[in-house]
Amino acid sequence: MATRTPSRPLGNSFYQLSTGRGEIWQSLRIDPPLVLSLFCLAVYGLMVLFSASGENVADVQRQAAAIVVAFFVMIAVAQLEVDFFRRGAPLMFLGGLVVLGVVLAIGSEVNGAKAWLDLPGLPSFQPSELEKFLVPMMLAWYMSTRSLPPKFRDLIVCAVIILIPAALILLQNDTGTALMVIMSGVFTVLLAGLSWKIVVAGGVALMAASPAWYIFLAQPHQKNRILTFFDPYRDPTGAGYNIIQSQIAIGSGGVQGKGWLNGAQSQLDFIPESNTDFILAVLAEEFGLLGVLFLIFLYLLVLARGFYIAFTAQDTFSRLLAGSIVLTFFFYAFVNMAMVSGLMPVVGLPLPLVSKGGTSIVTLLIGFGILMSIQTHKRVLPR
Amino acid sequence: MAEKFKLNDHERETLIFNRRMIVAGVVVLLLLSGLAAWMVYLQVYRYEYFAARSDGNRLHSQYVPPNRGLILDRNGVLLAANRPIFNLTVVRETAANLDVSLDLLRSVINLSDDDIEQYRTRQSRRAVPHTSVPLRYQLTEEEIAEVAVNQHMLPGFAVEAQLVRHYPFADMSAHAIGYVSEINKDELEAMSPEQAANYRGTHQIGKTGVEKTYEDMLHGQVGYETVEKNNRGQVMRVLDRTDPVPGRDIVLHMDSRLQAAAERALGDQRGAVVAIDPATGGVLAMVSKPGYDPNLFVTGISRAQLSELNRSGHTPLFNRATASRVPGSTIKPFIGLAGLYNKVITPETVIGDPGYFRLSGRSRPYYDWTWWVDKSGHGPIDLQRAIYQSCNTYFYQLAVDLGIDRIHDYLLTFGFGQNLAIDIPEASVGIVPSEAWKRENRNEPWYAGETPYEGIGNGIFQATTLQMASAAAAIANHGVLKQPRMLRGTIGNDGEITDVIFEDTAASRQLLPSQEQIELVRNAMVDVVNKPYDPEHRRHEGSAYPVLRESGRPLEYPMAGKSGTAQVVEFQVDSAGNRDNTEVDEKFRTHAMFIAFDASEKSRIAVAVFVENGGGGGSVAFPVARAVLDAYLLPEQPQYPEVSTLASADDGHAH
Repeated sequence: MATRTPSRPLGNSFYQLSTGRGEIWQSLRIDPPLVLSLFCLAVYGLMVLFSASGENVADVQRQAAAIVVAFFVMIAVAQLEVDFFRRGAPLMFLGGLVVLGVVLAIGSEVNGAKAWLDLPGLPSFQPSELEKFLVPMMLAWYMSTRSLPPKFRDLIVCAVIILIPAALILLQNDTGTALMVIMSGVFTVLLAGLSWKIVVAGGVALMAASPAWYIFLAQPHQKNRILTFFDPYRDPTGAGYNIIQSQIAIGSGGVQGKGWLNGAQSQLDFIPESNTDFILAVLAEEFGLLGVLFLIFLYLLVLARGFYIAFTAQDTFSRLLAGSIVLTFFFYAFVNMAMVSGLMPVVGLPLPLVSKGGTSIVTLLIGFGILMSIQTHKRVLPR
Repeated sequence: MAEKFKLNDHERETLIFNRRMIVAGVVVLLLLSGLAAWMVYLQVYRYEYFAARSDGNRLHSQYVPPNRGLILDRNGVLLAANRPIFNLTVVRETAANLDVSLDLLRSVINLSDDDIEQYRTRQSRRAVPHTSVPLRYQLTEEEIAEVAVNQHMLPGFAVEAQLVRHYPFADMSAHAIGYVSEINKDELEAMSPEQAANYRGTHQIGKTGVEKTYEDMLHGQVGYETVEKNNRGQVMRVLDRTDPVPGRDIVLHMDSRLQAAAERALGDQRGAVVAIDPATGGVLAMVSKPGYDPNLFVTGISRAQLSELNRSGHTPLFNRATASRVPGSTIKPFIGLAGLYNKVITPETVIGDPGYFRLSGRSRPYYDWTWWVDKSGHGPIDLQRAIYQSCNTYFYQLAVDLGIDRIHDYLLTFGFGQNLAIDIPEASVGIVPSEAWKRENRNEPWYAGETPYEGIGNGIFQATTLQMASAAAAIANHGVLKQPRMLRGTIGNDGEITDVIFEDTAASRQLLPSQEQIELVRNAMVDVVNKPYDPEHRRHEGSAYPVLRESGRPLEYPMAGKSGTAQVVEFQVDSAGNRDNTEVDEKFRTHAMFIAFDASEKSRIAVAVFVENGGGGGSVAFPVARAVLDAYLLPEQPQYPEVSTLASADDGHAH
């Protein structure tokens, strides 16, 4: 879509020219490779969902509708100038904090987390989800006003920017989202050039602190999840049931899978939450190793395009924001796949674009909308 | 300044970011490769293992119990049928939280602590994991609905249909047919491995009576099926099935009409009636009263129900038809035959009866019943009159002349002292004493003073009602004894009855008297019932004739019989020979006996009646015997018994 002079460094495609067909997409603020790969993922996801939900057409229609809405939202977000995000970042961040406060006050509770806002006339939504973009956006804005790599003082500010919303979300009793928000912030700081010494030190500190956390702070259900991760068979019909059944489903899928709608584990309800968090087990059982590799391939396509956009972004703010969004997306997908296949303790995260759930898809695609905005709002300077 | 820095920064920042992005990209690729490798491990290297686990999850081999064979009477009337009931069952491995589920169930259906306790016992002895174990039998329709509504909260629980035994006549033939009930641990352990495998799907086993004797024939062969079950234990489809082979339907010699008539004839009295077809040995009726409802046992009797049964003190579970006791004077025809066979007497032998008998050289008198009436005897009396008048003195003398060992040998050949019945294994063998027997069993010599009592059936000798009926049938059959048997034949798939032929060894072992001798005893027994008062001579009427005459209904067929009265306690007799005739407590009253048969040339039925503490054999037991013969021999069709359908409904509510 773009011709690039080979001699120029990779990140410095400042003088890029849009030509031909690319120009139309550029003017529509649409990035075809990204949209196409996301679309493939969504269609694949719908197929799996149809089987996972017990051939429930209504579920699939609702999900398809959510996907359509999400794509429109994504394109709408892409119409916004990067400058809008840059200039608006502090205000949006503050606004986000206010909304989080409001949720704490009047939010409604779902599954034990008081994270949902039910406003009259609007579909209920989870404001904390947006923090996954607002925090990197704020950090990217802050970092773009500083010189990189961040100095110690900057890191303190960054920590405050990350921890305030994270704390508010923790207060909502939504550990999973808090963790994701922290991770999205950490990714931004890492990309900004956080000293490896600090990274290593932080890693060691975390490792050292984790036993203390386990002993003093972890709640019983969290301890249980960790114990179950190490030995699912300590309670095979209780805590370990999900992971055991999901591994059986994955393993019994073999290379070719049992065929669409033919997964015994899935169709006979042995996999709990088979249409949300554990949908990968259904996919792996019915489409086998080939299906899993195809899913990973589709994720890689999205990631590759995301990386490309981040590399070719024109300024620090755009780069940090794009990089953080891409890595957060990867983190989502990876954590879910690792947990369902038994590589990680169970945390309640959906498989992006495949699991049932409209809110998750809309927020995901808002992120990709920002990516498209970064990609399609490059300043084109005359030669 | 700042502007210049900014430009420098830009290059450097780009470099930092790009390096970091490359590191991130490498990490992403490494992690995804690791994930892919893990998936390869799970889906390729461990495929076999997980595929087996998956099949283990969904595929369940289960046993399909065979339908138990039906039991029919000689007219094709069902004595034991199968009916469907709906049980609440549990697969323990799937029932995640049993106690919570049980609490929930208790609030929606009738589930007693007794039920739960019984369930736990069943669970503990279940052999095959992942199979369902009954928790509550016979759910009502409302209860089935309640379970269905709450099914989502009851993982591992299911309502399963099952065919269980039903005895349409309830109490009527409980002792003869017996009942099935839950297999217990001892029975399971006693089985061979093949047998145990055959009972994997079966909950009940025959415990008594025909149900037990013909268990192997009735049970059939277990089937297997492989089913696919979902996470809630519901069967989604059957993948493979080996059909069970149902048990054989069997036909008994029993006639349910006669059985009912015998039961009616006994009324509220305790006792037993056994009727036999003399030509075949087939048991036409076998009644023991009081009876009980065998349906109570099928799905497990509760403690309350069991203690209710036993509360009367009349031991309804006890089979009086196959229990032995002293036979009283019903033994006299056989003692008479023994005398004729051993040539101790001839039909013409006459003795004088002064009303008592004395052993030579002893002073102790053995009284005749006439003595208690008017302190006199029968005068000169021969065998025929001794039988129809039931003269004690004659048989005291005869017994002494025979000696106990010759009596023993001869009585054995009429089936006493052993269980000749082919398929009633629980029957008692009775006692036929001899000198050797007494030494062995009581460690005492035989006293000469005991022998006279054996002549009138009030000594040591004991026989069951079944044995008495069988011996009477032998006389009816002109001396040829056929071994008693319940089973007549089996019904094939084509509905045709195949007779079961048992090898009959009894007749070959008999010490048969001549035909004249048999006919003499047979005729004497006809006289017992039919010989009218002789105006010329006192005490020349049959001993049962007065009762027959009193009934006002003359017989319409030739009937022969012999009454008997068995002492429960010894009468107190003073030195002057007076008996203490004061009214005794009911349980010390004499047992009333009667043996009878159709005395036509080809006798069709012989019967023995025992009425516990009934009083006199002639007055109490004879009418019962006659009623049974009437029911069988009179042309008007006797009624079939009423079918109990209430029993099942009652069971359902009893919980």
